[in-house]
Parts: sequence; structure tokens; C-alpha cells
Amino acid sequence: MIPTMLGITIIVFGISRLAPGNPVSLSMGPGGQLDAQRAADVRKARMQLYGLDKPIPVQYVNWLKHVVTFNFGDSIKHHRPVIELIKERLPITLTLNLIAFVIIYVVSIPTGMLAAVRHKRFFDQFSSVVLFMLWSLPAMLVGQLLIGYFCGPAFVSWFPPAGLSSNQADTLPFFPWLTDRLWHLVLPVICLTYSGFAYLTKQVRAGMLESLRADYVRTARAKGLSNVTVIFRHAFRNSIIPVITIMATLLPAMLGGSVIIERIFSIPGMGMLAFEAVTTRDYNVVMAVATIAGLMNLVGLLLGDIAYAVADPRVSFESSV
Amino acid sequence: MVEISAQQKSWGVSYGEMVRREFVKNKLNVVNLVLIVILFALAVLAPFLANDKPFMIRLDGKLMFPLFASLTASDYSILLAAAIGIWQLILIRRNRRNIEPSVRGQVLTRQLLINASILLVGSILFFVFMPRRLDATDYKGLISSGRASDAIFAPIPYGYARTDLKVREQPPSKEHWLGTDDVGSDVLCRLIYGSRISLSVGFVAVGISSLIGVFIGSILGYFGGKVDFIGMRLVEIMMAIPVFFLIITIVAYWQRSLFNIMVIIGLTTWTANARFVRAEFFKLRNQDFVQAAVSLGLPLRSVLFRHMLPNGIAPVLVEATFGIAGAIFIEAALSFLGFGVAPPTPSWGQMLSLGVSTTGRFLWWLTLFPGLAIFLTVLAYNLVGEGLRDAIDPRLRKAA
Repeated sequence: MIPTMLGITIIVFGISRLAPGNPVSLSMGPGGQLDAQRAADVRKARMQLYGLDKPIPVQYVNWLKHVVTFNFGDSIKHHRPVIELIKERLPITLTLNLIAFVIIYVVSIPTGMLAAVRHKRFFDQFSSVVLFMLWSLPAMLVGQLLIGYFCGPAFVSWFPPAGLSSNQADTLPFFPWLTDRLWHLVLPVICLTYSGFAYLTKQVRAGMLESLRADYVRTARAKGLSNVTVIFRHAFRNSIIPVITIMATLLPAMLGGSVIIERIFSIPGMGMLAFEAVTTRDYNVVMAVATIAGLMNLVGLLLGDIAYAVADPRVSFESSV
Repeated sequence: MVEISAQQKSWGVSYGEMVRREFVKNKLNVVNLVLIVILFALAVLAPFLANDKPFMIRLDGKLMFPLFASLTASDYSILLAAAIGIWQLILIRRNRRNIEPSVRGQVLTRQLLINASILLVGSILFFVFMPRRLDATDYKGLISSGRASDAIFAPIPYGYARTDLKVREQPPSKEHWLGTDDVGSDVLCRLIYGSRISLSVGFVAVGISSLIGVFIGSILGYFGGKVDFIGMRLVEIMMAIPVFFLIITIVAYWQRSLFNIMVIIGLTTWTANARFVRAEFFKLRNQDFVQAAVSLGLPLRSVLFRHMLPNGIAPVLVEATFGIAGAIFIEAALSFLGFGVAPPTPSWGQMLSLGVSTTGRFLWWLTLFPGLAIFLTVLAYNLVGEGLRDAIDPRLRKAA
């Protein structure tokens, strides 16, 4: 965990320092206003101020000292500490992704199971084609079509086209506020979920097929257990274990995808923050977002491992390496 | 000849041939492969399909060929690459008939090397010696003013960089089959040229990521132990940062160009390849032929890449096909966000982002057509990858 986290910080820091140019020459522009001597003095003073005159390993350690206390410096654009911005934005992205995540699991597990039970029959083949198409659909296309046809004058305006809540939503009592919020989340969540279905359903189907062919399932059937019992108690419970570990790989993919979705639907989350930071060259924010995204991914991996141990009693962390 | 054909039967069926037969059995795979070939043809022949310069025109009584004269060095390089690619396919077909299986691999490698160097030298020559011409003549204006006649235009008589503010943001019509964009360029024309960007990003990025992945994966898998432990920690670190965030971070610092995007996608997506190759090499490491190669005293390079790699390459091929789809996706997403190639170079993602105009108007043709182009391309590659996986998977083959 900790070495990986250190590695992440090294990569992020490396990217920022290997790049051509540095923040000081960026902020000073092409020059020409000041005479050369004064420009050099100002440059030197600023380099010292930001610690850029020290060797790169020293710079890294200094940066790391701040990062450990979640001090990522100030945002150039917002003139506020970066960590405050992230504290505001992170819950929004997490809500969006967790809702999508739950929906993906709720839809994919039954679909995958049904496809496995109906192996090589109509439902199996039909669902696999549909899911493949969903997987290949770009979120940009779906998002823009949804906005174009469901939020505007072109067709019907059932949903709000942008943002997380209506104007003055803060003054509403809790339940109207909640419905308003959910109303705004419908389309973004659709965009986030549909591509995950394909991936997870395929995994569920593969796992289920494998356990349906296993000897213990044949034994269960031979004992005369009903089909429902065999599928749900014997096959399903064993096939679910790999599906849990997929959580760990699904989450980072979704976090990345939410950059596009938040941009399309103008949702002020982490993805939007990253997008704005890149367009305005707000380097402190860029570095912070990349570091935090890596950290969250690590937490996801850890949760996946824990869930794995909970779901499968054969796995334990004590006796193993 | 009779002797050869008698001998040919005893050659048996090679692994590649088995996979090919299995792959072709499913008609859907063939359809997708044809779709990909059509896409390639579109990308290669783009200047002949969509161009604002005529093939032939009689200007002031003189016969001219402006389209051919205005082809750039990269156009010629692409045509050369296509010709060499087709030639290589013919060679492979011929090898299968004429060359003994035991040396076929070596012959193929030599052919590939020769062809690649021809391509490299050819493109360098094109780029060094081709004069850069900028032909901004308005041939249509010349025709309507009566100075020119007998013009033969391409099927889509618009250039991808030609702007015409009089016809901006127009829905599909007889003149512009798929409408026009915010500066009045023809959407169909830009879509055709955009396929070049998508395909080149897909192939170059996957080429880079496969090379890195195979190299690192084979070393980790072969040595195992400490090397593997340290290497896998590095791979884990690379995997720990969500790829899209990593790419965005790099894009923030580096200059935005097509080359950079290819390299960035390649450098950030190799981890899956490395893990597959590593797993495969773990299995191969203890097999007899590898032990034999080692005990013969062959150099490490030869053991790894001559003897082991051909037996462990199958999952890399499948992964590469999916990787192309993924790279096209990432490029489209980056261009959509405005981090891609700079206009007027056409890219599908950038065109898609114009689907909502600056005034907030929803332009369906600018959303639907580029979106469908991305969708169909990605779907074709994904389905081919899936077909390839089914064809390679030995469990399925036994069952069939």
C-alpha cells in the first residue's frame, strides 16, 4: 500500500517536472517588459520562493511533505487551497459513481446469471450482442443525444440539461430537494452505467458457466435438489467471488469516464475540476487530482480484497504471505 | 509441382491456420473484418474520395491535374504503406503454399523487416524531397466564371480544411450529404479524413503498448522471483492511477499533438499486456523446449523472443485488438474535451463536441454521424477481438 502510494506520488511529480518549462517562466510570460538584469533577478527570486532552485529529489521530498498533510498548495484559478476544492468536488463524483456502481451490479448479476443458465440459447446470444454494442457506444454520443432529445426544444424537455440541482434548491425542504437532485442525476447515471453492464455481465456469465460445469453442481443435481437451489445456493455463491474483485478494476475506469460525463452535463465534480485545471494549466490542482485519484483507487483495491475475504471463507490474510 | 503438393499434405495444419479457420467459421467475424478493411480503404483513399481540387481540369485551354499535384508527402507515404501492406499479405499467402513450415517464421520475419525498411526509407524520401505546395485556388469559382472547363471532381468535392461561413451549421442536404459544421466544412469529408487520425492513433498507440508490455512481461515471467516481485510492484503503481486521469495529467504538461497523444496512450496502457505475457511465460518457462533452448546455450534474447514468445503471443494479439478499440475511444474522448489534435485537422471526437453549438443549439447531424463513426469502428474491433479470442481459446476448439 504505502510503497505503491509513494510510487504514485513519484510518477505524478515526475510528470510535472519532466515537462518542458516551469511555472515561473510560464507566469512571467515571454518577457520583454523588464530589462534583462531585473528579469533575471525576479526569476531567481521566484525560483527561490517556490523552491525550484533546489535539486529535483529535494523538491520531491518537500512536495511529499506537504502532500502527506494533504496540503497541495493553492489553486491559481480559484485562489483557494486545492484541498478545499477537492473536498467540495469529491463527494459529488463519488455519489454519481456509487449510484452507477450499484445499478451496474444490480442489473448485471441477474442478466449474467440468466445468460449462463440459457447458455447458447436465444437470451444468451441476444444479450451478448446488445451488451457488446452498449460497450462500444461512446459516452459522448449518448450524453449529447440524451441532452439534445430529452432536455431541449428539439424533442421533449423531461430532464434538466445541466448541473446538479435547480436554482434555489437549497431553500427546499428535504424531500423535494432529494427528488430535484435525483432528477438531475438520471441522465448522467444512465451515461455512466450502460458501458459497465457489458463488462460485468460477461464476467458474471463466465464465472457462472464455469461453476455450472463443476462437479459439485453435478453432485447437487444428482442429489435431486431443485434447479433453483442448485443455481442460487451452489453455483451462484461460488461464481460471485471473482465478480467482487472486479470492483477494483471497474471503479478507476468509471472515475476516468466521469470526466467526460461531468463535462457534458456540467456537473461540478472531480472530473470537471480536472478538466478545468488542465485547460487553465492550474498545475497544483492537476497534480492533486491525479494523486487523489490514485489514492482512491488504492482504497478501492483494499476494499475489494476485504470483500473478497468476507465472501470467500477460504481466503484469509493471516496465514498467507 | 506434383511432388510439392504431395509433400504439402504432410505439412499438416499450422496453428495460425487453425485459428484462421475457426475465426472464419463465424460469419459475423468476416463481416467485421470487411468493415475494418473498408475503413482502411477510406483512410488510404481519402484524398481521392473527398477533395476540393479536381482530378482533371482544363484551365485557360491547358489541361491540369491539381489533385495529384497537391498530394502531400504523408498522402504518398500512406499510399506506399497500403501498397506494401497488400504485398505483404500476398507474400504470406504464397509462403503458406511454397515454404516449409519450419522456416516459415524466419522467412516471414525477413520479409517483414525488408518491407518495413522499404516503407521507412520511402516515407523519409517523400518527406525530404517532396516540395510543399499550397494550392488555394478556388477551382469551382474558376468554373463558374467560365475560365475553366472539363473538370472531374472527387465524389465529395470539398476539402477538410476549406471553410465557408455562408453554409455554416447546415443540416444534411443534397450538396452536403451529412451537413456542415460550425465553420461550414463538409461533415462527410471531415469524417473520412478523421478515420486517418483514429486508425493511426489506434495502431501506433497499441504498437507502443504491446512492445513495452511484451518486453516487460517476458522478462518478469521468465526470471520470476525477485525481478518479478519488484517489477510487479512497478506495474501495480502504473495501474493504480486511473488511466484517463494519468493521460489528462500528462496532456496538461505536454504540448498537444497527434504524436504526443499516440505516445501517451501507448505509454499508459501497457500494463494489461505485461500481465498477460508474464502469466503466459510463467507457464512456458518450465516446458521442455525452453529448457532445451537454455541448455543449448542460446543467448537470452533468442530464448525469450525466438522460442518462448511465438508460443505466448496469442493473448497479446487479442489484447491488441481490444487495445485498438480502446485507443480510438481514448483519442475521441481527449479530442472531445479539446485536448486532442488541433483543428483544422479533423478528428471524430472533436467533431462530436461541436454537436452542441456555442449558442447552446443542439445539432443532431454533428452529434450522430461522428458518434456513429466512433461506435462502428470500436464495435468492429471489439467484435473481431472477441472472435479472435474464441478462435484461440483451446477449450472452445476442443468442444467444437
